[in-house]
Amino acid sequence: MPQRPTSSLAACVWIPLFPLRCEEARREGLVTHPTALLAPDLSRKLWQVSPLARHTGVRPGMTVSQAIGLCPTLRLCEPDPVHYDNCFARLLSALNEISPVIESGELGLAYVGTDGLEGIYGTPGRIVEVIKRTMESWNVGTSEAGSPFQRSIFPSFRLGWGKGKFAAWVAASRAKPGEAVIVPAGGEGKFLSAQPIAVLPLDPDTHRRLRQLGIRTLGALAALPEEAVTAQFGAVGRRLWRLAAGRTGEPVVGSIAPEPIVAALTFFTPVGERDLIERAIDQLIARALKDSRRIGWRVQAVRLVAELESWGGDEDPTNRSWLVTVLLKDPTADGARIAAPLRTRLEQAPPAGAVTRLILEFTAFAPGTTELQLFARDAVAAARAGQRRALESAAREIHQRLKRTCLYHVIEVQPWSRLPERRYALIDFEP
Amino acid sequence: MVAPARTALRADRLRAVNVPRPVAVELNAGGEPTLFRRSRDNGGGQETKAAVVEAILESWRVDDEWWRQLISRRYFEVALEGGGRVVLFEDRVSGEWFVQTA
Repeated sequence: MPQRPTSSLAACVWIPLFPLRCEEARREGLVTHPTALLAPDLSRKLWQVSPLARHTGVRPGMTVSQAIGLCPTLRLCEPDPVHYDNCFARLLSALNEISPVIESGELGLAYVGTDGLEGIYGTPGRIVEVIKRTMESWNVGTSEAGSPFQRSIFPSFRLGWGKGKFAAWVAASRAKPGEAVIVPAGGEGKFLSAQPIAVLPLDPDTHRRLRQLGIRTLGALAALPEEAVTAQFGAVGRRLWRLAAGRTGEPVVGSIAPEPIVAALTFFTPVGERDLIERAIDQLIARALKDSRRIGWRVQAVRLVAELESWGGDEDPTNRSWLVTVLLKDPTADGARIAAPLRTRLEQAPPAGAVTRLILEFTAFAPGTTELQLFARDAVAAARAGQRRALESAAREIHQRLKRTCLYHVIEVQPWSRLPERRYALIDFEP
Repeated sequence: MVAPARTALRADRLRAVNVPRPVAVELNAGGEPTLFRRSRDNGGGQETKAAVVEAILESWRVDDEWWRQLISRRYFEVALEGGGRVVLFEDRVSGEWFVQTA
């Protein structure tokens, strides 16, 4: 297996509340209202809360009824994880233009390996400027195509640069929106010592114990003997101490795009019907998407080859074939979106004969995110996206005909209430 | 539940589900409902339909929110003659009866 590229110098790009920012970017007026995003699971609790909503006391983890009780003007958004993931995948692709070493964290957090970039761009300050410009160009493409509303989420990003991911992340977390903090080489210890312990990857219990011991800053933690911290907190404590003291420069670990993924199907009898070929394409796409090498990657280029039946049967040695190559504008792991352009080509220029064998190849990939796998496996996400598109299309048709939506979705208000009429409520379904 | 839309939800656009509808109820000697009538506007006037209670499946009381505006209800989950199940309740504050879907 080829070794993954690494980089000891790192730039951290951080967009706090990334999913909420994506919603604000595509919906007019949201940014001026207290807003909250519902969790993508079935808990119907709040997942992310805008600063305006926070001022009214609304917090992540609250139920809808609690939140509306505190802030009656609160705007709730249903989550669209596939959209956030697509936006983030585009960001990673844009950053990949600067450096081949990109590591993604949670949604909105990415590390760019900058080893060797000095020779191209110059000082860390200039590298950071290049990343800023990339962020600007990425922002332009964030809004949905055709949307009359485009708002930049550019000012909400923060950048940090330093040796190792941790220093870069802490620098980014200290930066003002739209700005960068650069930690000079050799200055990591000094920079980190003044930072609060909350920047460490701590569980609540360890955080509480450190505070009980009077340790408020990384400097205070690093001042303790390493052995004592290890004895108190085990291996986790040792890692925390090394991070606090700037002794661990965890490198950025990039990924290597997988080799082309191929799926093929041989027909027992040559097939000429378009329906059957389309069905076979769907099967091949599903099979190729399931390939373990594809996990964490979006498909960017697809090649479909059809071997055609020879005119003269066995006596005709001439091989005939049909080829379609598609470059997807937005890399995707959604089977329907991969199939759509192939179907169009099949309709516009069908094979000039019956197909004996169909070969599908994913030839180029764009980095995906690890978070997608937290939300749903691709097949589930694809199914959900397909269902949503069908429902949205039906809702639009109903609205056009009847001039009102007539469709609602049910939300839980007080599911525990002893009064049945308080448990659920309806809200207009407006795609 | 219907698949979610991406539209922002607002509290002023929420519609209650399973809102209680007023009914006229006949009671037996034990104070349990034996028949109820509900009126419905059919466009040309009021239409009244009666439903006979075949059996009382369950009954319970809810006394709540005494610190705000007292809610005191006596609920009956009933099976109707000819099929169907509904929940009837008496608002013990106003004395009115209501029906809800079970």
